[in-house]
Amino acid sequence: MLVYTAKRLLAFIPTVFAASVLVFLFVHLIPGDPAAVLLGDAATPEEVAALSSAMGFDKPLWVQYFRWLGNVLQGDFGTSIFFGEPVLSVIADGAETSILLATMTMIWIILIGVPIGVLSATRHGTWVDQITSSGAMLAASMPTFWLGLYLILIFSVGLGWFPSSGFPSLSDEGGIGNLRYLLLPSLTLAAPNAALIVRLVRASMLDVAREDHVRTARAKGLSPARVAIKHVFRNALIAVAAAFGFTFAALISEAVVTETVFSLPGIGRLVVQSILRRDYPVIQGVILVIVVLYMVINLLVDLAYARLDPRVSLK
Amino acid sequence: MKTVQHPLKFIASIAAFALCAALPLTGQADGTLRYATVGEPPSLDQQVLTSDLATTIAHHMFEGLYTFDAFYSPIPLLALGETVSEDGKTIVISLREGVKFHNGQEMTSADVLASLERWGEHGARGSLIFDHLDSVEATGEYEITLNFKEPFGPWKNILAYINGGASIHPASIMSGASKEPITPENYIGTGPYVFQAWEPNRYVELTRFDEYTSPQGDADGYGGRRVAEFDTLRFIPVPDVGTRVAGLRAGDYDYAENIPGDLFADLDADGGVKTVLNGGPIFGLVFANSSDGILQENFALRRAIQTAIDKTPALQVSIGPESLWRANGSFAPEGNVWYTQSGADNFSKGDPDAARTMAEEAGYDGEPIKFMVSTNYSFHYDSAIIFTKQLAQAGFNIDLQVYDWATLIEKRAQPDQWDLFFTHHGFVPDPILITVMNDNYPGWWSTPEKTALKDRFTASSDPAERQEIWAEIQALIYEQVPTMKTGDIYNYDIASPLLQGLGDKSLIWPSFWNVSN
Repeated sequence: MLVYTAKRLLAFIPTVFAASVLVFLFVHLIPGDPAAVLLGDAATPEEVAALSSAMGFDKPLWVQYFRWLGNVLQGDFGTSIFFGEPVLSVIADGAETSILLATMTMIWIILIGVPIGVLSATRHGTWVDQITSSGAMLAASMPTFWLGLYLILIFSVGLGWFPSSGFPSLSDEGGIGNLRYLLLPSLTLAAPNAALIVRLVRASMLDVAREDHVRTARAKGLSPARVAIKHVFRNALIAVAAAFGFTFAALISEAVVTETVFSLPGIGRLVVQSILRRDYPVIQGVILVIVVLYMVINLLVDLAYARLDPRVSLK
Repeated sequence: MKTVQHPLKFIASIAAFALCAALPLTGQADGTLRYATVGEPPSLDQQVLTSDLATTIAHHMFEGLYTFDAFYSPIPLLALGETVSEDGKTIVISLREGVKFHNGQEMTSADVLASLERWGEHGARGSLIFDHLDSVEATGEYEITLNFKEPFGPWKNILAYINGGASIHPASIMSGASKEPITPENYIGTGPYVFQAWEPNRYVELTRFDEYTSPQGDADGYGGRRVAEFDTLRFIPVPDVGTRVAGLRAGDYDYAENIPGDLFADLDADGGVKTVLNGGPIFGLVFANSSDGILQENFALRRAIQTAIDKTPALQVSIGPESLWRANGSFAPEGNVWYTQSGADNFSKGDPDAARTMAEEAGYDGEPIKFMVSTNYSFHYDSAIIFTKQLAQAGFNIDLQVYDWATLIEKRAQPDQWDLFFTHHGFVPDPILITVMNDNYPGWWSTPEKTALKDRFTASSDPAERQEIWAEIQALIYEQVPTMKTGDIYNYDIASPLLQGLGDKSLIWPSFWNVSN
């Protein structure tokens, strides 16, 4: 497994390099100039061109790329044009929110999605199954911005239990208690994702339940609960594990709607705003980090497969 | 069934724990004003930026020599007063003594000179004055002298306008500053609040400047006594309007800006929310290309386009309640010293038949007219859709090109890419600050008639004469149509009713000195 992991890590290098070229090209090929956004509407084209030149954006693209790549290889992702801070520091700020939000959301997904999925599968065809399946469909269909705003109206405006928006860092005043700011957003994000996990667990368990080894287990006289958990659920987890991995990655990088509704300083909102402002160093930095994140999660999912399914060998 | 009972119990206990943990919810510490903004400013450097959001934050930290009273007349702020020579070309400005910068250093003429010089060379509006100056000198420790080539009437209005304006900073910072905005560690001014922190995507925080030396006299607009009642001002980006409104109602914010018109009636009637209108309206502008394309120098065709458009339906659709807009053709709002109806009878004719005839007479043969608009501002896009339909009814072939704002700004700098583009303009206290008066602003309107009138307008120091000349310029705008005003829009914000000292209207940007909880 160690050799396999080392090989996969080595394979990251060309992938990251290719991603860096693509990201750099796409970012610079879209029209728009950060200098123009920075200076505002009243600026004349001459003033914009002067600032753009002062920031080095008038240089040939390949010169800009290799300068950027050289700095990245030394761990310097550049400085945000708008925040005036190192890109890595800006990403780290956003990453704290995104990782905590994704983790809390995953906890909700596991706590809600998996048991309901198991229940739905074990009560397949009954009214329990129909209610849980319909509930899952409803949750999957609800737009997150709509659900988020309603949760704010009920729990923040109406009951005053939770803050409506924002997220102070855990290192700020309030410490670990600041996690309460993420409760409503994580529930909002969890609803559609937990619904998908319900459907996935249910479908996987029903597939596995039809297999021979389950019939054998039942014939041996094992209790239905033992069959369901040890023989069906564990095998069904193989498909679910992959979904968990990619859901976690997606929660970090694609939670932009929820981050906007709850005004959270996460990675998703950071990258969208950076694109609108043409903050090239931040866009490039964030996307590279997301690429690496997906590759690492992909690797972890593969390693988890081997752990969950003894038939899988990693070479 | 056993297998599912335990997880459900576990979920219930976790949820109960979470709710209990949330119950002792605490608000912000006393003395902090929490302001929900629509986004983040690009920087807070007032000299080079014209972002209104940046000014909303920065004018609590940075001050200029002059500012505006409640009637938009310029009054001294860091200046004590001035003497103007008989020929109107030499202006000697005396400075207030004992004014401290946030770094503890006292402000002298050396700092003012360095600030004016950097603004003149690199500032967004610096050239408006410096193009007319022979020299600027520090003629005493607390005295600055402006030597103009010719008398220059709008100098005080321009110095009083802090947005893209001459904010005063220590010479040590200004001497090294260039076109690039100064960085947060150099945000040192003389204002009642000090820059404290900028946490990207979280907040910009200012704290009270204990050594602040306020101008004397009763508070009047932005002038007079300034008292920092709040310990801290925190500007928090909250891009979603629903969240800004809900957050204010939930008590998480004290003030939330830029609320859409369709919520106005409900919020205005809500006792738990105070609506604050912006006294200085913004206005949409559709610029015509004077440098290239089908509209270049074809004033008759531009007038045909102007005649086809009825502005009222666009204002109704894009803004909503009538209390938030005026179909006003004057470039200044009613009651303002620059208000004039000169030429404004052509503001909103909405006559497609007359427009069709005028277009034919102007030689228009159905060639596409490229009209650029951005979706970043919904009222731009909504209005452009209405205008396009009205123009089509008059026989114009409009090629509506929809971009994001950053792309539009880049494309409008290329004269061969467009014929019309939509933007908007903030309220300005002197018409010389309107972008159409700048020959280099995209559209590039610089006809001999404009130049002659503009020279007279800037040379005069007599307010009555300047108003008359401005009326002539406005008439020329309706005749040559370098831009079409689309109407006045009164944005509004909402505030906690607990805030004292806000008033019903803000002047140009909200200000929070003399405001308490």
